[in-house]
Amino acid sequence: MSDFVEQWRAELKRLGVPESIAEEMAADLGADIREAEADGISAEELLGSSASDPRAFAASWATERGLVQIRPDQATRRRGRLPLAAFTAVAAIALIVAAVLLATGEPKVALVTSGARPPHIPGSNASFVPPPGRVQASAAAPIEWILLFLALMALAFSGWLWRWRRGRSQLPIAPAQ
Amino acid sequence: MAKDSRHSQMLRGVLDLCLLAVLDEGPAYGYEMTRRLRDRGLASVGEGSIYPLLGRLEREGLVETYRAASNGGPPRKYYRPSHAGRLALALGVSEWRAARDAIDAVLVQVKIEVAS
Repeated sequence: MSDFVEQWRAELKRLGVPESIAEEMAADLGADIREAEADGISAEELLGSSASDPRAFAASWATERGLVQIRPDQATRRRGRLPLAAFTAVAAIALIVAAVLLATGEPKVALVTSGARPPHIPGSNASFVPPPGRVQASAAAPIEWILLFLALMALAFSGWLWRWRRGRSQLPIAPAQ
Repeated sequence: MAKDSRHSQMLRGVLDLCLLAVLDEGPAYGYEMTRRLRDRGLASVGEGSIYPLLGRLEREGLVETYRAASNGGPPRKYYRPSHAGRLALALGVSEWRAARDAIDAVLVQVKIEVAS
């Protein structure tokens, strides 16, 4: 339970609760836990569901006491998480598809897919003729590589967005008083 | 599960009244309030709910606090209802009774019982 109190205090500190008030709150909580244990009540029973989430407990207590302010844009940012998750998932799927296409070589994508012989180029010794009906890989249109590149860019962008969101959510919140 | 959820939701709506009520019996610190609630059958109310709520009551001026030595233990933060808190308690109890009576008037018609 000392680990719980440590995490709980760390969260108060992160939120910017003044040290003297955090000390007082920690003393009250610690004394309650000790007294409950002397009565045969475990800390988990005493705290209820908060026993598994010291950070949420600390934030809730400090916020309700008016020691910290909830930024009004927090709810908006929570709502923005779903589209970002969907974007990340689509980018990941595109990356996997591109990787599979590159690894297996099937299906190759080309600009020309007919079975007709390619036009004769005077002076050229080109001898490769793709089989009729088969899609030809084309260095001029490396769709798989373009897809791979775009997927990597999208994943990098979404990774940056996630880090930016996390950084904003971990900013200390100004004490209300 | 649904039963627990309904119980929690109902309790959430009146927990502030319950706290003011037990404090109206006499000043108490956090764990003492938990004990008073447990003695009346509200064992499921944890301090994870009580302390944030006490914080709100304190911020709204419905409870007053002071520090005093507890029985053989360290000094504790005691809470007691302020004048505004006692008014809020009286008003809240009146609202609760009206709501309870109205709901009872509806639910009394129900003849179904849970088989034991």
